[in-house]
Amino acid sequence: MASAGLASRLYAGDANINIVGRRKMWFTIAAALVLISIGSFLIRGFELGIEFAGGTSFSVPAAAGTKTLTQDEVSSAVEKAVKQAAPEAAITTTQKVGDGKDASFTVRASALSTDEAKEAKAAIVNDLGVDASKISDDQVSAAWGGQVTRQAVIGLIVFLVLVVAYLIIRFEVRMAVAALASLLFDLVMTAGVYSLVGFEVTPSTVIGFLTILGYSLYDVVVVFDKVQENTRGITAGSTRTYAEATNLAVNQTLMRSLNTGLVALLPVGGLLFIGAGLLGAGTLKDLGLVLFVGMGFGVLSSILFAAPVLSALKDQEPKIKAHNARVLARRSKGSDDVVRDRTRPANATASDVPAMAGGTTPRPGARPAARRNANRPGGPKR
Amino acid sequence: MHPGRQLGVLGLIFVVLYLLVFFAGDAKGSFTDRLQPKLGLDLRGGTQATYIASQAGGTPTTESMEQARTIIENRVNALGVSEAEVVVQGKNTIVVSLAGKADDQLKDLAQAANMRFRLLTGTTPDVSASALNPASPSPSVAASGVAPSAAPSGAAKPSAGASAPSITTGPSAGTGGQGGGEAVPSATPSANPSPAASAAAPAATPSASASAAPVPASVQEQRAAVAKKVGAALWAQAEKLTAPVDLSSDPKAGLAYKAFNALSPAEVAALTPQMQFNVPTISCDQLDKRPNGSIDDANSQVVACYSGQAKVLLDQAKVVGTDISSASPQLDQTNGQWVVSLDFTGDGQKKWADLTRVAFNATSSDPCYTAVQALYGSAEHCAVAVVLDKEILSAPQIQAVLTGSSQITGSFTVDSAKQLADQLKFGAIPVTFEAGPAQTISATLGLQQLEAGLIAAAIGMALVAIYAFFYYRLLGSVIFLSLLLSGLLTFGALVFLGRTIGYTLTLAGIAGFIVSLGVAADSFVIYFERLKDEIHEGRTPRSAVPRAWHRARRTIISANTITIMCAVVLYIVSIGAVQGFAFAMGLATVLDLIVVFLFRHPIMTMFANTKAFMSPRVSGLGRVLRRNPTEESVSSRVKEA
Repeated sequence: MASAGLASRLYAGDANINIVGRRKMWFTIAAALVLISIGSFLIRGFELGIEFAGGTSFSVPAAAGTKTLTQDEVSSAVEKAVKQAAPEAAITTTQKVGDGKDASFTVRASALSTDEAKEAKAAIVNDLGVDASKISDDQVSAAWGGQVTRQAVIGLIVFLVLVVAYLIIRFEVRMAVAALASLLFDLVMTAGVYSLVGFEVTPSTVIGFLTILGYSLYDVVVVFDKVQENTRGITAGSTRTYAEATNLAVNQTLMRSLNTGLVALLPVGGLLFIGAGLLGAGTLKDLGLVLFVGMGFGVLSSILFAAPVLSALKDQEPKIKAHNARVLARRSKGSDDVVRDRTRPANATASDVPAMAGGTTPRPGARPAARRNANRPGGPKR
Repeated sequence: MHPGRQLGVLGLIFVVLYLLVFFAGDAKGSFTDRLQPKLGLDLRGGTQATYIASQAGGTPTTESMEQARTIIENRVNALGVSEAEVVVQGKNTIVVSLAGKADDQLKDLAQAANMRFRLLTGTTPDVSASALNPASPSPSVAASGVAPSAAPSGAAKPSAGASAPSITTGPSAGTGGQGGGEAVPSATPSANPSPAASAAAPAATPSASASAAPVPASVQEQRAAVAKKVGAALWAQAEKLTAPVDLSSDPKAGLAYKAFNALSPAEVAALTPQMQFNVPTISCDQLDKRPNGSIDDANSQVVACYSGQAKVLLDQAKVVGTDISSASPQLDQTNGQWVVSLDFTGDGQKKWADLTRVAFNATSSDPCYTAVQALYGSAEHCAVAVVLDKEILSAPQIQAVLTGSSQITGSFTVDSAKQLADQLKFGAIPVTFEAGPAQTISATLGLQQLEAGLIAAAIGMALVAIYAFFYYRLLGSVIFLSLLLSGLLTFGALVFLGRTIGYTLTLAGIAGFIVSLGVAADSFVIYFERLKDEIHEGRTPRSAVPRAWHRARRTIISANTITIMCAVVLYIVSIGAVQGFAFAMGLATVLDLIVVFLFRHPIMTMFANTKAFMSPRVSGLGRVLRRNPTEESVSSRVKEA
């Protein structure tokens, strides 16, 4: 077994990495990261896009003397002019309004002061050779109203309440709390990265952010499903503490978590590559970036955060506490057990834990619900 | 279920979906036209309209513009799941952009900004049809022609008493209460209660002199023109009417006024309110088509139509929209019905209390009382009509003297309560909008970005496929096929939904679907890893596949339930772009579940029965299989089994 490399041990689900046992370390790291993020929210805030903060809109006639301008020409000319007037300003959208002779282009840019706008206008006239009197600039409000944000936040809260209720029914209270903690951790971390790095927040970012909600929980559910399976009837035996059983589950699902994470991140990476690499900016980049960051944290936190939180919570439960004490007491008597347990957890899976053993497993095709009930008389809950 | 049958169901879904794509809705044009999803504003461009706001006494405030923007945005979003853009430009302009050709939809968006509360003082059914064709009198004609002073006519009521709206004191107010009818605070049974109703002479006929506003010269000219058109004699005859022409005694009496039926809506608007009300040949249709703002004057009596069936005469507007401070739909906890809650400004509250006092204290001798009786069939108190532009939104009976927050009750649904509250709020904004011309706008991103998005999708899919083949060998092809299936189902659904419910696809939506395909591959990984576990434990593929399926199914369903829950909650609660996104997410997840249940599982079941499944070269599970004999003690295996 020692000869097998990490990759193949990972593949077989017996990498035996002690993750849950080092939970103090993960909690410290998580707490530090959360504090940094919240500090950054308060001090640095967020870089809001034009859709949220409003901006300046330029209207440029499509006809310059005898020639007709194209959307690209106008777009790049305005961008150059705006950048010249205010270095950190940018443009978002360019649209052609109307047809024929009276057509004009509307270009939306970051908010500019009156002087900056005047300077930019002069530069546009210079560059495109259009009639100066026909260029106009106007302040535009946010397209993404406060109400959209408010309703989205209300939706988020309703969702969290419902999902906790669902997780309590599907799993149990402590698992629901741990899953919620991990979800909130992901959201805070993603927002923290945005705040710290100063990435611009656009509507696409917000939408991507909401996608993380479902995804992050998806990962956690996969891990907790295995934990639930491994710890079913754990108090009946005395070979493994709850934390150890959880760690085993994490190891068994490690490959699955990495796989699902990788598979989900691949297309997002494609988006990011095209969006940021080839196009420079825009919807694809915004969405790709927030998903990449959020899903990345989702994979990490389901392994390194959700499971440790769960074991910490479960260890507070009287029944589990007593069980853990019994396991440790037995172990100090016969140290042989410990050695075996520590070195060969994968085999232990197959022979020690009742839930996994062949003797109690139902025939193929048995309904999971029935199995769960049949197997749980001495279970840790209910 | 038999694997073949599951695949059959999937095939059926496919056939039905693509039949819908090609032939349902208003599918037309060439083969490729029918396969066009409805692209969003950013990819295809659309229509843009500007609305310039004006306010009596200066430019509108930033707050009222933002409020108006929100309301217009709500109206745009109510048109369907189309990610429209609504911004305030400059100080007084609202710019609305919609995907595709949408001139018709844009027309009415900023309409209706003048709200008036008027006491309902007279009602008469719209008898224009029978007045012109007396030869075939309908039963209602006999009982119609109800003058304000006439006895209430049962046939004239447009709707049953149960659905008649009423206004009561809101729950927060101290006085009045729901039972206001019993606890009359200051009822003076026979006295003429207020100056507002003083136009009610004993005969209770609406008199021309009640119109306080001086008639502008332009209207005088218009009237002269109309007089010429209908003939001076008829004009004089109509002007002399003091009550609606009674067709019940003489069914042919209406024929004389035939010329009025030919007037244009604008000409009708120029008539005095009394003529509009009394002349039987002026129809609701004509009244409804009067130009906007025809009955905005708060200081004059006006005529409007109630539910398109009865003409009603309305008193001067004692309370106007700007007197409202807020309006919101609420669910009445006591009876579970939707109501609209109203709050007034300080000054507005006083005016509102005065108006409701008049309406509440009215007795059977008041014209407003008989009018309500005629309209609803029963009456305890007078009604106040809520008039928005030319339309009577609601004509609730007043159940108490309202000195606090008020509630409009009636048979509201969530939507109608929300709509009325919205309109009330809109009426509270002291701005009027003038719509500019609708213009076409080009795409902001255009084909270049769309192509880039599709390239990104291709790259993403290729990466997933490469990874799947590398890791799961031939099983990767099952992943690849199901991704392809998901993609085709999603595309079909997008095209169909774009045509039927107006779902528009923006670049963000495309990116969302790309991501969801990746997430869809996840459920595969869960399944395969489970399978690996089972084989690792020493099962044959034939028994491992159903077991792994039952366990993975639980996990997949849990995880997808959460995603669907997220989508449904966000779709119901949120608005605008977030709603569009939630729709996409829900759709993608449901389609993923369909593919998981009806494609992957049956395919895997069939696959497990082949010999190739066990070969390490064919399935990625082989490595586990090979390791088994060396790692697991055979004897313990036997013992367990």
